[in-house]
Amino acid sequence: MYATFDLDRPGDLAAALAILRTKGAVALAGGTNLIVDMRAGRERPQRVVSLDKLGVLRGIRQARGQVTIGGRTTVTDLLLSPVIAKTAPALVESARQFAGQMVRNTATVAGNIACGSPAADLVPPLFALDARLTLVSARGRRTVPIESFFIGYKKDIRRPGELISRISWKAPSSRSCALFYKLARRKGDAITVVGVAVALDVERGRCRRARVALGAVAPTVFRAREAEAILEGQTLTPELIESAAEAAAAAARPIDDIRASAAYRRHGVHALVRRLIGQAWEKLA
Amino acid sequence: MSAPFDPNRNLANVSLRHVGKPLVRTDAPGKATGRTPYAGDYVMPGMLHAKVLRSPMPSARLVRLDVSKARALEGVALVLTARDLPDRLAPTDIPGQTGQTRLKTDQQILVRERVRYHGEPLALIAAESVDVAEKAMSLIDYDLEPWPGVFDPESAMRPGAPVVQGTDNIVARHAIGKGDIDAGFAAADMVVERTYRTQFIEHAFLEPEVGLAWVDENDVVNIRVSTQVIEHFRFIADAIGVPHNKVRIMGALVGGGFGGKEDITVEIYLALLAKHTGRPVRLEFTREDSFVGHGKRHPFILTYKTGVKRNGKITALDVRLVSDAGAYVFLSPYVLLYGAIAAPGPYLIENLKVDAVSVATNNMYTSAFRGFGSAQACVAYEQQMDEVAQAIGIDRLDLRRRNYLKTGEPTATGYRVPSAVWTERCADIAWQALGEKTPAKGAIRIGRGLAAYQQSYGRLTFLHDTSEAWVGVEVDGTVIVRSGVTDIGAGQASALAQIAIEVLGVNMENVVVYNSDSAVTPLAGTTTATRALYMTGNAARVAAEAVRGRLVARAAKAFGVPVDDVVLADNKVSALDRPDKAMSFADLVRLCATEGIQRSELAMFRAPFTDRLDPATGQGQAFADFTYGAHAIEVAVDTETGEVTVLKSVACHDVGQCINPAAVEGQIEGGAAQGQGYALSEEMIYREGRLMTPSLSEYLIPTAMDVPVVKSIILESRSGVGPFGAKGIGEPALTPVAPAIANAVADAIGRRIHDLPITPEKVVRALHGID
Ligand SMILES: Cc1cc2nc3c(=O)[nH]c(=O)nc-3n(C[C@H](O)[C@H](O)[C@H](O)COP(=O)(O)OP(=O)(O)OC[C@H]3O[C@@H](n4cnc5c(N)ncnc54)[C@H](O)[C@@H]3O)c2cc1C
Repeated sequence: MYATFDLDRPGDLAAALAILRTKGAVALAGGTNLIVDMRAGRERPQRVVSLDKLGVLRGIRQARGQVTIGGRTTVTDLLLSPVIAKTAPALVESARQFAGQMVRNTATVAGNIACGSPAADLVPPLFALDARLTLVSARGRRTVPIESFFIGYKKDIRRPGELISRISWKAPSSRSCALFYKLARRKGDAITVVGVAVALDVERGRCRRARVALGAVAPTVFRAREAEAILEGQTLTPELIESAAEAAAAAARPIDDIRASAAYRRHGVHALVRRLIGQAWEKLA
Repeated sequence: MSAPFDPNRNLANVSLRHVGKPLVRTDAPGKATGRTPYAGDYVMPGMLHAKVLRSPMPSARLVRLDVSKARALEGVALVLTARDLPDRLAPTDIPGQTGQTRLKTDQQILVRERVRYHGEPLALIAAESVDVAEKAMSLIDYDLEPWPGVFDPESAMRPGAPVVQGTDNIVARHAIGKGDIDAGFAAADMVVERTYRTQFIEHAFLEPEVGLAWVDENDVVNIRVSTQVIEHFRFIADAIGVPHNKVRIMGALVGGGFGGKEDITVEIYLALLAKHTGRPVRLEFTREDSFVGHGKRHPFILTYKTGVKRNGKITALDVRLVSDAGAYVFLSPYVLLYGAIAAPGPYLIENLKVDAVSVATNNMYTSAFRGFGSAQACVAYEQQMDEVAQAIGIDRLDLRRRNYLKTGEPTATGYRVPSAVWTERCADIAWQALGEKTPAKGAIRIGRGLAAYQQSYGRLTFLHDTSEAWVGVEVDGTVIVRSGVTDIGAGQASALAQIAIEVLGVNMENVVVYNSDSAVTPLAGTTTATRALYMTGNAARVAAEAVRGRLVARAAKAFGVPVDDVVLADNKVSALDRPDKAMSFADLVRLCATEGIQRSELAMFRAPFTDRLDPATGQGQAFADFTYGAHAIEVAVDTETGEVTVLKSVACHDVGQCINPAAVEGQIEGGAAQGQGYALSEEMIYREGRLMTPSLSEYLIPTAMDVPVVKSIILESRSGVGPFGAKGIGEPALTPVAPAIANAVADAIGRRIHDLPITPEKVVRALHGID
């Protein structure tokens, strides 16, 4: 049952931010989380502020080696963009496996980040890109690394009335490779059981930069820094890759639920980190 | 491999103009353009909206139920509890027209004192809007005191277990004994014993339960409802205490049934609320209501002990079946009987013993689901065939070939099937059609599996099944078919149209079918048990032929030719080899009308009427006939993540005679998808009786991204007992799919997972023993 609420559809960002300052107001983007939660009675906002008229929040740009996308960019927008295809292949892979067509057409990137789910599929690839989030409110704006955005299960650093207006990252070099794997109980419209994004930069036969970001195996998406440290600066061997995979599995703090046991999730992290690092290395070496 | 089968071989000497063609179904344009009203689209002025309050506990005593606040809420018309109703029960026995004595299986309509399952209804609410009804629901105060429960059938059978039903939770037993089981095992070179388990699954039809009821000026309770069975009107009348002719059920095109709309769903609640308020009442289940509002597929524990000679001949089979009936009996005894009869599969087993038992628990009640016990049996017998083949080291298909039941041989109950048995042909064709094997790569292994089956169509013959249809022609040459048959999406109504026009020689655009009204269309029985085409199709054919007989006789007289020379085709009447003799079909009908020749016929078709099976040996006739076929699968298994991808899915069934091949393909493709869910991802999880998978985000049916293109190979032996030699395909299309997938996974990874569903986690555990 839906509780009653007021719906606003402001035409500019300033107006939206002004309304969002009021108590009980919440932003509505694609609605693919919020409306589901409202129907189930988990969320009972008094004011729903639809962002659908805010064209400024939607779009994909590349300038001076920097890629910037608006928070209201949809998953389908990602899939149709040559810029994303070039600069964020792991994000494309996660977008491809995201929900089903109807949800992809309306679900947004900022909504995926802001929902705070550890299983949010776009987030591990954004971690692997060292993406930065621009947060705006009626009081001003700030930019934070995505990694410091999440502070606990469905908890983040947003202040009341703050929106994610942009997500940006540095376009990776040609000597880099990023991959994503969604392990789930079925192929379409599934909630992720283990999400793994990896990125490697290789120079002169050595791994310069390694990113291993894990989804659905801890209260938030996180980087397995121990695994990254094992790889960085090294010429990768099967043994090194194996020990990085072990480190990643050890860093995971998965739960048991009806989708999978903690033990299986940990196994999945191990298997997939090993596989993806191996594939990325093979591509670059 | 036997020689490739030429499907055209059987087309000789059969000339059918409409039957067997993929004509546009009568229900297609309305559905495609969105004009078709489903039961949920009907509204009435002044209509109330209903909600059902359900128990969140699976086993409890209701110690207090206070609805006063809900009743006082503005906009609430009525709140009903068990205290407001006379102590009547809701029947849960097999529905329909048979007049057999009912099993003592009736269920309380609302909880009086004892709650037996999670979701059992406590109160009914009717209000001016859904929002008010939901608000009222939240205002009902109640106390439930936990009551000892039992949550698996093996525990429920133990002495001292909490009693859910009867005196010992035993809901039904069936035994089959044939030949000499001890001698059979003594003659075996090897004995293979395995236990297989299947899970609770959910029908997950597109359209959740919905209906609208009103009491008319004749005091008749009218209910427009999404159902497979309009003939529940008798049970509904008994439950609310009115004569049978005071309840009328009108169906609508149904958005999927699969057995889940075979039992009564919203009807009794609607009838009670409409009667007590005097206003129309609408009740629509949400998906979450639907999940707790109708019975599930029975989980079975199936233990197979097979004695086999080194040459592959099976000498003995001992089968034990245990099914979880859940909290109320519903159709459990029948489902169990189907399972017992199906237990040996499409094989000739001379020495056979089956012991089957169904046990009540505090899980959700279980009832009809496409495949009805036979599907669970197939999951076991076809995996067992692969296990036996592996144990004695012979090819899986060779083992099957050595044991297939052949045309004219007796089934488990000693009954000789009257139709062609084409199992071997279907299995070989399906297997060959898999084509070249996909290469394995890295952690990905490829496996193949096959399952053959035997599945009845038509009801148990001791139920004495009948079906009626009426066919009439109008003076402009158009045709009307009337029959109570419900159309649950498989084209049941359209099939009757195709049959009638075949017989009468008119075209598809000249026929209209009226169906699914218990008061004004002749009663046709249920759309269940793969019986609609067999029973109602035969009735329509008989009715159409009677009309045709009179028309042809009149035409013969007019033409001065023998009746056998009169040809009806393309809306015309002509005489063989006499081009001068011809008239339009409409002119012939008009001629008959002016002379008072009857232009319509009401026909009843009767299935064979038999006695019950011998209770000690299970011998006798149980069904009129069976469908045979096979499904072949190729899978890719990721041995690191455990993910299973179905790469190829090929079905080959002998359907006797297609009425509409496009509709047959629809059944086969749907069966392939549903069977894939059964094998790999679907499971209603109950923990201590509580549903842990309350919505479609936890209960995982395969999506379009999971199911490969399904190849349907349709054979026609023209030997069935349905119209024009048709057999049934509704349930058979599903039955072999899950075991074929299980066999393919086992082939890929070299280990077998004996309990469905085969989740990635189970695969990983089988391969790596994680923990
Ligand atoms: C059938 C189905 C399948 C799904 N499958 C997947 C899947 O495969 N993978 C996956 O990751 N998710 C999946 N989801 C979840 C959901 O679609 C995604 O999380 C989606 O990205 C949410 O975006 P939205 O625009 O719909 O957010 P909304 O529902 O509109 O909002 C979600 C939350 O974010 C807040 N919010 C929205 N925009 C902003 C903003 N600019 N700044 C700050 N806060 C904001 C809202 O206030 C709300 O709290 C699925 C959902 C459904 C219904």
